[in-house]
Amino acid sequence: MKSKIFNGLMAVMILLSSCNKEPEVIKDIPVPPVTGPTLGEVLDGNDDDSLFFRLVDRAGQLNLINDKSRAFTMFVPNNNGLKPVLVALAAQAGVTIPLQAPNAVFSGFISNIPVAVATALVQYNIIPQTIKSTSIANTFPNFSYPSIFNPAPSISALARLNTYPSTRNGAWLNNIPIIAVDQIASNGVIHHTATLAVPSSRYLWNRISTDPELTYLKAAVLKADEGAPAGETLVGYLSAFGPNFTVFAPVDNAFKTTMTGLIASVLVNSGIPLNQAIPIATNLASTPDVFTNPLLSSVLTPQTVKGIVVYHVLGSRAFTNNFPTTQTAFPTLLNGAISNHPGLKLQVTFTPPNPFATGATVKDVYNNDPAANIIINTSPLTPDPLGTSDQNFVNGVLHKIDRVLLPQ
Amino acid sequence: MRKITSYLVALFFANLFVQIAFAQNVAISGNVKNSVTSESASAVSVTVKGTSVGTFTNDKGDFTIISKSLPATLVISSVGFESQEVEVSSASKNLKIGLKPSAALGQEVVVSATRLPVRILESPVSIERVSAATLRNSPVANYYDVLTNLKGVDVTTSSLTLKTPTTRGFNSSGNTRFNQLVDGMDNQAPGLNFSVAAIIGLSELDVDNLELLSGASSALYGPGGMNGTLLMTSKNPFKYQGLSFLVKEGLMHVDGKQNFPSPYHNLNLRWAKKVSEKFAFKINAELIQAKDWLGFDYRNYSRAATGGSVKGGTRATDPNYDGINVYGDETTVDIRAAALNPIGANVAPFLKNFIDTLNGGRAINVSRTGYQENQVINPNTINYKLGGSLHYKLSENTETVIAGYWGSGNTIYTASERYSILNFKMGQYKVELNNKNWSLRAYTTQENAGDSYNTTIASRLYNESWKPSVGTTGWYAQYAQTYLASRLNGFTDAIAHQNARAFADRDRPNYYYTKFTRAYDSIRKKPISEGGAKLVDKSDLYSIDGTYNLSRYTSKFADILVGANARRFVLNSDGTLFADKKDSSININEYGAFIQATRKLGERLKINVSGRYDKNQNFKGRFTPRATAVFKVAENNHIRLSYQTAYRFPSTQQQWIDLAVGSNVRLLGGNSFFTSRYNLINNPIYDFEGLRKLNDIGQVQNLKYTPVNLKPESISSFEAGYKGLLLDGILLFDAYGYYGQYTDFLGRKVYVQSTTASPIALADTAAGFRYSLPVNSTDKVNALGFGVSVDLRLKNNFTVGGNIASDQLNNVPTNFVAFFNAPLYKANAYLANTGFGCENRWGFNVTYRWQQGFLYQGDFATGNLPDVHTVDAQISVKLPKTKSMLKFGANNLLNQYYYNAIGNSQVGGLYYVSFGYNVY
Repeated sequence: MKSKIFNGLMAVMILLSSCNKEPEVIKDIPVPPVTGPTLGEVLDGNDDDSLFFRLVDRAGQLNLINDKSRAFTMFVPNNNGLKPVLVALAAQAGVTIPLQAPNAVFSGFISNIPVAVATALVQYNIIPQTIKSTSIANTFPNFSYPSIFNPAPSISALARLNTYPSTRNGAWLNNIPIIAVDQIASNGVIHHTATLAVPSSRYLWNRISTDPELTYLKAAVLKADEGAPAGETLVGYLSAFGPNFTVFAPVDNAFKTTMTGLIASVLVNSGIPLNQAIPIATNLASTPDVFTNPLLSSVLTPQTVKGIVVYHVLGSRAFTNNFPTTQTAFPTLLNGAISNHPGLKLQVTFTPPNPFATGATVKDVYNNDPAANIIINTSPLTPDPLGTSDQNFVNGVLHKIDRVLLPQ
Repeated sequence: MRKITSYLVALFFANLFVQIAFAQNVAISGNVKNSVTSESASAVSVTVKGTSVGTFTNDKGDFTIISKSLPATLVISSVGFESQEVEVSSASKNLKIGLKPSAALGQEVVVSATRLPVRILESPVSIERVSAATLRNSPVANYYDVLTNLKGVDVTTSSLTLKTPTTRGFNSSGNTRFNQLVDGMDNQAPGLNFSVAAIIGLSELDVDNLELLSGASSALYGPGGMNGTLLMTSKNPFKYQGLSFLVKEGLMHVDGKQNFPSPYHNLNLRWAKKVSEKFAFKINAELIQAKDWLGFDYRNYSRAATGGSVKGGTRATDPNYDGINVYGDETTVDIRAAALNPIGANVAPFLKNFIDTLNGGRAINVSRTGYQENQVINPNTINYKLGGSLHYKLSENTETVIAGYWGSGNTIYTASERYSILNFKMGQYKVELNNKNWSLRAYTTQENAGDSYNTTIASRLYNESWKPSVGTTGWYAQYAQTYLASRLNGFTDAIAHQNARAFADRDRPNYYYTKFTRAYDSIRKKPISEGGAKLVDKSDLYSIDGTYNLSRYTSKFADILVGANARRFVLNSDGTLFADKKDSSININEYGAFIQATRKLGERLKINVSGRYDKNQNFKGRFTPRATAVFKVAENNHIRLSYQTAYRFPSTQQQWIDLAVGSNVRLLGGNSFFTSRYNLINNPIYDFEGLRKLNDIGQVQNLKYTPVNLKPESISSFEAGYKGLLLDGILLFDAYGYYGQYTDFLGRKVYVQSTTASPIALADTAAGFRYSLPVNSTDKVNALGFGVSVDLRLKNNFTVGGNIASDQLNNVPTNFVAFFNAPLYKANAYLANTGFGCENRWGFNVTYRWQQGFLYQGDFATGNLPDVHTVDAQISVKLPKTKSMLKFGANNLLNQYYYNAIGNSQVGGLYYVSFGYNVY
């Protein structure tokens, strides 16, 4: 009797006691291990991307894009898209490569590109996030996506050159059409571009201060900076890493016209007849020195000139292809001083089947003057320093225009 | 009132000075032995029949008694033996008496059920009793653990030495609804509010008995005790004499899981001496030393202001990980708002768009890296208890007792955070006069929290000390920059977080470095009020109480007992726990009185009615009635019915606490003082949860806090039970069922206040000051349950038995956190033998306990507790020649780690061998 009870009890105890649960840490829903080919492997498998793959290899970036602990979006030109860039690079190095040369020739040239140059070219076309085509922004001004290229490591480890993919009015990387999207790799996505987006190493001021068509603008900027504290000059901003501008740059002729009219009306108001005033004004406005002429010091004060200059600058980067197709006003840097100023009205025109913008205008808001035209590149995608529109710099984009815009 | 008092005083003195004249005397001496084992039987009562003359056998079984005349009849009796009468016709020096062990169940007498001795079978309310004999044969390593096996009892284990029993729900690590009285003294630490009998109370050898009343018991024992009362009574040195010691040496952590296998030491010493028929004294000492059980719950916890929950994720996968037993990781910051957005706005505007896209534009909450419990709490637990008493008989019926219990120890306690209780000291000292008709007692409890500290606060402050969280080079700035840089280099979010943590933590001291220890120690030793983590608490309690049995005068009508008490809490925490100031304590006064009448109606029915009135200076007075009836169905079979009320004044903490805790909440007491201290009217506070759910800020006025006077909570409870001896006295059956209703239930609610005294905004749920205030629930909640136990005495000293109990709470409103914390079902089963083998010297006991899993709600953490199964076992052998006993025992025999509150220590197996000398 007793041994039966005892045995029974023990059996039940042992049975039941074998299962106290200890607090078990609940792991998150396990992240599935990254499988499938990496960006590098996908690229390697794309026959038509062989030159870009070579360039990546030359830049020493293959390990990076094969790293499964990272995720990237790559903008890749196919061989035909890359070749014109290589031709231009070769030309800069004094080497002539015909566009029709076989791939092997380009491949051989890539092996001679300095690693730093190759790195900049490749890294500028890589974004450290997976952005499928449906996620690319279509906002205006352009939404900035930093590339993995740090143009100024001495300034900051966080410095990055931004790129501007957009799906407004088509699909673009800066002003380069995206021609195929969403080739998926295990660690990112590849979009194909019509050509290679080349990072600029120049600043807006490098162009403004040297372009023979922008001498008035240069003089105006310098005049506007008169008396400005160091560190707060327009020249400084236009030369610095960090700011991000769109500059509508009136060419010299536009300035001559506007300055002539401006001076003439001042003369007329002071009692000089129009027919005498015009030649005087024309003469005074015939060179950029108009901004430093002491006779005009009371008319063209630094503040007046600054007001005119900043009215030509947006605090963000706008490529023409990203402008609105109906005239829409946007604030300018002038809004820093006059916060409720309506800004400038922008508009772009497309003429299908041409994918690029065929016309773009900028209009001041208080005058009945016609809109200023952006002087569209004669050949699409003409880069700095040769082009006139969508000139991309480290700190902004520049469009030449044919009229000066007046804020009031 | 004054008249009654002076009447009582007069009665008292009248009794005190009654001198009993001793007549011509005959001395009879002899020796009592266990007739089966031939062990000497100590503490056996020897009385001269028909007189009030009596004595007890000493540790050798010897006695001497003075009879006034011859022949005389000596009555020899002791629980567990059959009583014997011996005729003595001449003065004898060496009577030899053999007492036969009794097989009868249910023969015990209990006192606490009515404050008067009654047979346990006739108790009008549910009661459980543990005698010293039960303890001797129990498998538990610490006598306190024996409570676990009683019917309807839940024990919350904070650590090896800190266990909190309760009945009928509302378990927690520091239960304020269950009273524990040690020799009549309330054992709660006056400042910390939890009972510390397990660490500072009776030492094991001095325990005469434990009586546990389940359910409401305020009517007799005063405020508190809504869920039950545990009364612990020590051994009287007149009865239990001689030197005893008990040495337990054990082994814990045998599997090396929490710690290296380590010893458990427990030494007990008791010496009691009857110097004369009038004077006796005793001294007790106990020492426990071991490596404590620790909390090892590393699950991720979602810390809401009220009630949180366990969630998925680890330190490696969740940047905002907050481990339950990991401290310091309560510090959390949204690095988007604190660091990344400013980078995008000022430092690197070219990254603004990128920053905006991180984590889908949502907050990026990041917690600092914490330290695990075993890294910040020294598991070395040590516990000393010292106790002693002097007993002097002023007359045959009046005994004076001066007693003191002092203890000091290290342990671990769970409140709103885990506390390392270090060098905690508490003393209880009393002077008592006991007459057979009255008693008068004055005592004080002196508490000193020693070097106790809050592990969460200490760890958070430690993190700030090695690298501040804020600032341009602070931990979060470093984290955010590295996170951003990693993201800019294409790393996935998870890896970017890992890189960031690795960088920000690169110079984080490891817990075993001297650098860590030194800095951590200096923080934990500095009071909370001075920017440290130390809990300063030197609160005291002073109490005086007395009873008077008026039955002599009223027995024709009824037996009437009256009593009164007064007590004062003196809260002194130097502002670290309460709203007191250095050198200026807060006093709380309470007083109360009760009257109880018992009357037999016929042969079968006994009625007991009592009422009690209590007043606390901060609350309105309360009257609590109680009525019980015991109906004798047959000899040794009784039905009991009771209606009891109980209530509880808000605890000292619920009145006066002022403490900032981990989840950025400040706990406040309910005293109106706090309304002005925190400007709660002029800069009003609003219901936090309500505000979080609010869509229209226009409705916010409905959520505004209006100061109300806090009320005591109360319970009314009906109980019916049956207790009977069946099958010729070999089956003891006990069952009860109860139904109780709680009103003005005391809980806490979180409110939020604008930091700038501007109108409240939805954003203040994140940015505002948060206060947790005690509130009375307007909802009534009902508790009900039952318990059944069976003990069956078999042949050859075998006993088998078991019990099952159930508790549940009904009508709980949604979103109401009741902290009921009781399993729906729990059960115990045991098989024991008190004597088998050679001369019945061997004994054993195997006990199995099961507790069903349930949702545990605690201030520290809330979550589902799994089922708990444990087996305790012992086998022992008596060595009569040396009056000693050897025992091999195991608590949690199968070393199945269990925990019975979220975040509490996980308890494994403890295996010991004990040697006891003269243990009775």
